[in-house]
Amino acid sequence: MKGEDKMDLQKMMDLPGALAAFTYADKGDLQSHVLREGTELTPQVLDLLARSCVANLAIAGMEARGWEALTGQSGFQPIKGFSVVGLEWSVVVNGNCGVVVRNRDADYEATFDALQA
Amino acid sequence: MHIVKQLMAIPGVIAAGEYAYRGDRFSYQGALTDEFARMASILCRANTLSVNMQAEILDSFSESCGCRPVQGWIVRGAQVTVCAVGNYFSFIENRDDLLNDVMTIMRAKVGDVQDDLLVNLYARLGGNTKEALY
Repeated sequence: MKGEDKMDLQKMMDLPGALAAFTYADKGDLQSHVLREGTELTPQVLDLLARSCVANLAIAGMEARGWEALTGQSGFQPIKGFSVVGLEWSVVVNGNCGVVVRNRDADYEATFDALQA
Repeated sequence: MHIVKQLMAIPGVIAAGEYAYRGDRFSYQGALTDEFARMASILCRANTLSVNMQAEILDSFSESCGCRPVQGWIVRGAQVTVCAVGNYFSFIENRDDLLNDVMTIMRAKVGDVQDDLLVNLYARLGGNTKEALY
């Protein structure tokens, strides 16, 4: 992991409830990650998660584009992030970076904002 | 108070609604037409089905990894955010603190989504859906 990447991911780990932070390539290959000690998440799960996130962001982009074209409503594009809320944790992604946060401590707005920066 | 009514009382919530897991019914309040609400319900049901499928795959790699059953999802747009929890959805403006408030209310009011979600989502396919899924 490059020093700069590691520093960015460490910053993401300061978000409320952060269990893991990761970066991934455009096609979803996991590139770098940081895991909170004691978490049950594994690099393999993060790799799959990254791939699903790339797919979900692409689908959300298509839906936003279609929704705006069909309804005439605006404000959906460009997509600024996607999150899946699981039973215990949520994954929040945007661009090529993602954070897994514990639900009970999650601050979705702060996490989305951090991923914009 | 019903969850949709409660959500609509919050300034910045554009629309909120509920759809049947089976995909055959929906109801809503707010700035949508009947047709747009029908489209939103289909979109939310499809995305919910998709993220649940993904969670099943994740779970097979790490038992009790904490993702299943999926409770909902969020799409953050430029000025509008779409939130879905269980079979409820809301369209909200990107205002300070609104997303966290809406998610807190939706999670609290809908409660924990249970493991039979996929069975309900697939119910219209017919046959023994439980056997096909697990």
